[in-house]
Amino acid sequence: MKILQEYAGALTNFEVLDFLRSRGAGKDPTRLIAGIAPSEYKVYDYLEQTAASTQTRDIAIEFVQKCKEYNLAKAEILNILNIRPSCEAALYPIIEDWDIRFSVEEGKEEEELGLLKTICQVLPPPPSVMESGEGIGVEEEDNPDEQQKKAVE
Amino acid sequence: MVTLIVCFLLELNYEMPRTCSIVCQVEIATLDQREMFCLSEIEHTLRLPPHLLNLPLAEAIKGELEGLFLDKVIAKLGLCISVYDIRSIDGGFIFPGDGASTYTVKFRLLMFRPFLGEVISARLKESSSTGLRLSLGFFDDIYIPRALLPSPSHDEPDPEDKNQVRWIWEFNEQNYPIDGMDEIRFRVHSIQYPSLPLEQDDGSKPFAPMLITGSLDADGLGPIAWWV
Repeated sequence: MKILQEYAGALTNFEVLDFLRSRGAGKDPTRLIAGIAPSEYKVYDYLEQTAASTQTRDIAIEFVQKCKEYNLAKAEILNILNIRPSCEAALYPIIEDWDIRFSVEEGKEEEELGLLKTICQVLPPPPSVMESGEGIGVEEEDNPDEQQKKAVE
Repeated sequence: MVTLIVCFLLELNYEMPRTCSIVCQVEIATLDQREMFCLSEIEHTLRLPPHLLNLPLAEAIKGELEGLFLDKVIAKLGLCISVYDIRSIDGGFIFPGDGASTYTVKFRLLMFRPFLGEVISARLKESSSTGLRLSLGFFDDIYIPRALLPSPSHDEPDPEDKNQVRWIWEFNEQNYPIDGMDEIRFRVHSIQYPSLPLEQDDGSKPFAPMLITGSLDADGLGPIAWWV
């Protein structure tokens, strides 16, 4: 066995979930007919519980575009897509040098809150939050996204 | 100058797939470009057993690769989740004395390999006096040692299970317990790939080829209920 390229590209959680779904992971209740191994089903189950299960490609593109103004690095954007932090505290471990980039000056503080608002508006909340009916700043824009997701599938 | 290239990766076909990933080039390129799941390209020489000759070639090879690599840890590359696609199949020679043909296959594997500093949500699996053990469902060897728990915290024997210990974080005069209900966010501190032991005593923990050490020692980490 020879390793040609150790790192040939990164995938967000949502892309992995999409890949598994395209092979038929979600459609088979018996889990025997689709050609997917039990270990792959475990990954599928894990990803279904995270925020990635409610995202679509369009949402992801829209989010990346809106993040351009915040000067975030690629890894930070991908981390935010994977985790979907809904409050400030959850953003701290993701963004490096938080103090320097989003320090408590007037202009910058608005930026940080603006980023949080973008996250809550563009990315749909994870399934557990949606089931319990809590809305952490979820706006009406989520509904067209949900319809789009159904159209895609 | 920020350029945004977006394309999408689909389907597991034998033809060269349209390669896509969501990529964004930003001027602050300080962070290493790694993610929880990534692709690794591998070349392997594979012997295809004769009883698979009735299947189409790509399917037979994919089946063999899955049997070889799925759910196994490759040192430095991580845990193999899935065969992503097959790039090329060469060969098909039959060596003398052998009934099966041999192929040299180039393919990409979908690997689980979190990077240092990544924040991941997991569930509590075990809690003992040396620390916590978390699980992702498909991967169980995530340990949070005592030193990397938020300080100060102390442990107390769990009222429900006498073998387990419950960890409590003290902050601002309040006690925040870590119980098994919630998802716990941790930051990856290090990943080790210990080499195979030569001998193992009976009854000791099964050998873990990939060990992730995590830390809960920062704002925003720990059970989600602490921060919402």
